[in-house]
Amino acid sequence: MPSILHRRLLPLVVPGLILAAWIGATSGEGAPLQVLVPPSAVIDGFNELLSSGELADHLRASLWRLLTGFAIGASLGLGFGILLARSALVAAYTGPFFQAVRQVPSIAFLPMLILLLGVDEGFKLAIVAKAAFFPVALATHDGVKGISKGWLEVAAIYRLSPVRVLLRLILPATVPPVLTGLRLGLTRAWIVLVAAELMAAENGIGQMMEMGRQMFRIDTVMVGVALTGLIGFALDQGFRLAERRLVRWKTA
Amino acid sequence: MNAIIDPRSVQADSAPHTGGLAIRHVDKSFDIDGRKLSVLEDVSLTIAPGQFVSIVGASGCGKSTLLRLIAGLERQNRGDILLDGVPVAGPGLDRGLIFQDHRLFPWLTVEQNVLLALSNSDEAAADKRVRVASLLTLVGLDGFAQAFPHQLSGGMAQRAAIARALAPEPQVLLLDEPLGALDALTRLRLQSELQRIWLTRRSTMIMVTHDVDEALFLGDVIVVMQPGRIARILHVPAPHPRDRADPSLAPLKAEILSLLHAG
Repeated sequence: MPSILHRRLLPLVVPGLILAAWIGATSGEGAPLQVLVPPSAVIDGFNELLSSGELADHLRASLWRLLTGFAIGASLGLGFGILLARSALVAAYTGPFFQAVRQVPSIAFLPMLILLLGVDEGFKLAIVAKAAFFPVALATHDGVKGISKGWLEVAAIYRLSPVRVLLRLILPATVPPVLTGLRLGLTRAWIVLVAAELMAAENGIGQMMEMGRQMFRIDTVMVGVALTGLIGFALDQGFRLAERRLVRWKTA
Repeated sequence: MNAIIDPRSVQADSAPHTGGLAIRHVDKSFDIDGRKLSVLEDVSLTIAPGQFVSIVGASGCGKSTLLRLIAGLERQNRGDILLDGVPVAGPGLDRGLIFQDHRLFPWLTVEQNVLLALSNSDEAAADKRVRVASLLTLVGLDGFAQAFPHQLSGGMAQRAAIARALAPEPQVLLLDEPLGALDALTRLRLQSELQRIWLTRRSTMIMVTHDVDEALFLGDVIVVMQPGRIARILHVPAPHPRDRADPSLAPLKAEILSLLHAG
């Protein structure tokens, strides 16, 4: 049984090993510095990008796109998910289409969206919204469907007011699955956004990496990769924390 | 068919005055894929205040539907259901219902689940909590107020559901196979507890079950149902608290079983 300290340190073992291998590969004679720079160069590159304010600009642009696109996509997904679960008519008209479109990877829509919306902000917001829409809609649908008829009968028997039904039954039953959907939607939207910025953008973390590649600044590329991973990780963990707090009744 | 239950079978000394039910010529059918499926046909039954009535019958005979009609969760196609002379027009706090599954809200503690049944009461919050605590004591759940439903065994969860149903002090408590999902030992124990609660409360209780022993152990009156109708109404003379080995129960059991096999 590993101690708490052990458990805290265990996740660092694999990154540590990779870092050691990286240092080893780049420190010897004849290291291929044009394709792989040492970690110290990446840290220098990071400091340079940070002090020039360039990194902050890229991050601001990317996060603004993420949050705006996510807000649009998640709201639409929430509304559509409720409709899909509550209305047989909506389900009959759009259910199969929804399931089919869901199977197309978001990235596969990029060329079409660029043709339709151009290379400006529009297509990036659209692709982020699309990536967020489907997981949120699906989770909302499942959450609303998951409210059992039995619980609604209990609410009827004790003559609970509509407000109480909402607060004590509908929201507690649907918030946890919806939160899971939001988490999936947000992390997928982030992945798709970086991919979209790699293809066409004036700024943003993806564009920064693409420019770095064109100018053989491998350090800039690696800063971008590391930040993309860290931001995605932070978004995911933040939502997981919220989920755990809200569904304490499941694990308590 | 018109069946009147003799109100004299209720002990006169402690007989309550409310919680009497009159079910008159009730028909109920459901539409299943456009086809009409008749579940109850011309069912009549009178239940005196404070009686314990057991309704037995095979699956699909309409016994649960009858209970759901009394609860107001379903509406009959024809006929009347009167509680103390007033027609039933939907669910109400004068009638409690206990289901086979406990139907506690999993995100609420046991205490919060029971408190929910007191949502419409004007009592102060502190008084409500005192009342919930005494109900939890009554059903043997002392010390579990702050537990979540998933932390309870099936029998304990059903005890919590019983406490919730008792909280609004209904005149009529409806029990829809309340012990059907429990293991045999827990079942026997909870049957005794139900009898004790009934003797304490003296409210009308109507229990649907397919366990003939359970029906005989608890009921003053046994309503035997065959599909869609009441086949016979039997009175159980044995006193409460009842001895499972009471010799008067054996012939009744034989009669009920033969009726169930005939149906």
